[in-house]
Amino acid sequence: MGTRPSLRHHKERRGGPGKIIRMTPGSRRNFFAEPERDDETIMIGGGISRWTMAYFATALTWLLAALALMVAGIGHPATDLAAPDTLVLVHVVCIGWLSLAMCGALFQFVPVLVAKPLFSEGLVLPALGLLTAGLVALLAGFMALGGRLPSAPWLLPLGAVLLVAGFGLVVINLGVTAWLRPTGPARFVLVGLASLCATAAFGTVFAFALAGWAGPTGDAVLARAVPLHAIAGLGGWLTLTAMGVSYRLLSMFMLAPEVEDRQSRLTLAAGALAVVTTVGGGAVTIGFAMGQNVVLSVAAIFGLSCAALYGRDLAGIFRDRKRQLELNTRMAILSFASLAGAAVLGIALVSMGTLTSHSGAFVFLAVFGWLSGLVLAKLYKIIAFLTWLETYGPVMGRAPTPRVQDLVTESRATKWFAIYHLSVWTGTLALLAQEPNAFRVTAAAMTVGVVGIVHEIIRIRRLEDVAPPLRLPAGAAAPHLLFAKS
Amino acid sequence: MTDQLVERVRDALRVVIDPELGENIVDLGFVYDVAVAGGTVRITMTATTPGCPATSFLKDGAQTAASAVPGVVSADVTMTFEPPWTPSLIEPTVRASLGFAAIN
Ligand code: HEM
Repeated sequence: MGTRPSLRHHKERRGGPGKIIRMTPGSRRNFFAEPERDDETIMIGGGISRWTMAYFATALTWLLAALALMVAGIGHPATDLAAPDTLVLVHVVCIGWLSLAMCGALFQFVPVLVAKPLFSEGLVLPALGLLTAGLVALLAGFMALGGRLPSAPWLLPLGAVLLVAGFGLVVINLGVTAWLRPTGPARFVLVGLASLCATAAFGTVFAFALAGWAGPTGDAVLARAVPLHAIAGLGGWLTLTAMGVSYRLLSMFMLAPEVEDRQSRLTLAAGALAVVTTVGGGAVTIGFAMGQNVVLSVAAIFGLSCAALYGRDLAGIFRDRKRQLELNTRMAILSFASLAGAAVLGIALVSMGTLTSHSGAFVFLAVFGWLSGLVLAKLYKIIAFLTWLETYGPVMGRAPTPRVQDLVTESRATKWFAIYHLSVWTGTLALLAQEPNAFRVTAAAMTVGVVGIVHEIIRIRRLEDVAPPLRLPAGAAAPHLLFAKS
Repeated sequence: MTDQLVERVRDALRVVIDPELGENIVDLGFVYDVAVAGGTVRITMTATTPGCPATSFLKDGAQTAASAVPGVVSADVTMTFEPPWTPSLIEPTVRASLGFAAIN
């Protein structure tokens, strides 16, 4: 399993005129694993995930689609939060953009987190196909619900089944990989994957209920469990996973010591309790037809504690760092500020009793400021790093190679990130002020920022910023835009 | 003769860089040991992150670079994470240029 096709040619490489490089016997059997100790085997180096870039490209395409909807004024705030148009927008963002980007990153990073190879490379691309098909069907179903397409009640269940199949492949693949050696950050991923299962389960019941196929129980769940589905998805799956991955990425790129497992475990416990309270407690309230306020308040306290503990952990990483901050880290700080801002906004809205009327602004700040901001900053870095590995890794030792830093031009990229974050913050204010037209202007400004970032990413893939003498040393092949060549 | 070969191998290893830090593995202190017996070179080295794809390429790159040195018949590279690498192993001049001196 350890020998990736992309690296196979390393096995019998010639070292110079007439010389065969001798490999240790173990490395012949399994290139990536230390041979002797089989149970505790950790992988020395990992492979490059072949389809991660395809996930990223699909995700960015959906992000641009979501921005286009917002600029056009389709969905909230022009319509109600529960309106079909809003559901289209929400799932384009939550599944198309954030979930796909997260999955693509996890296929590359879970093996690094646990120092074990991915359970199955072969399941990665089928999952992308199923998720894309499922999302399209789900969106078409929402559009039919809103009268934008002819009525077709089967579309939502079809979408749900395809999405469950796609997420199922992702959960099995990543879950088995992380389960083998669940160290600190990998535990966050496991809890995130469990939350994803809960999210998809609720979503499926909703889809069948909207088609009229789920009976009175399904209708009761649809009537009351939408907040549970949203919290499990945004809070459990996306937020906890992003936190886990960020611990490792930040300490790796700043050369800071890892956050101790003991410390991050408390953060995770608070987050996991928030999800369990929401999903478990919420299900009980639905089963017994009780009010949900108590359960959601308890969950909110756990959620806030998790955010605060995460802030403490991050402060530790930044304090002990050994390197100056790169662009991707400085931009990640802006998304941490949005997470803190969302927490403060949430508390303020609850204490003023206006959370219901302003929940759109709250969710917008969490989704675009915190989650999307962090994902964009990390994509910029991860893509540069993976592009370096693909292009220059194989020729290392034979020819001088550029640095990862030589693939990016941070001074140019900074302004796109700045435009993006400023527009998100202005957009939050526009939502709070209930100014839909101002919101569309800020969405247009966000689009400018995202298009700029996408343009920078394409330049990275095309090695356009690498100075010519180092750009393509003999033996190096230019990377493909959408996948890692073998 | 042996010492010279060790020096030549160490020199050759400078073509291998850590892509993140942008400096070569010798100056970064990744190379823990270079031992020569006859024409066989044994290199013991480390990297910053086990499980990272860059780590395989560093190992491979070191092997390739060492094998190309005249007088080397075969090269063996062993990766170890004991003792773990720390920035204090970086050559002082390089450390300053990486911006390590400014913080911590
Ligand atoms: C199997 C996958 C999924 C299916 C079938 C699904 C289905 C649905 C359905 C049918 C609704 C509308 C309920 C209603 O009529 O009010 C809904 C709402 C929602 N979903 Fe999903 N969903 C899925 C995955 C996700 C994921 C992964 C996320 C987030 C990460 C998410 C976030 C939301 C949110 C925030 C809402 C509330 C939207 C609003 O009220 O405006 N969903 N989902």
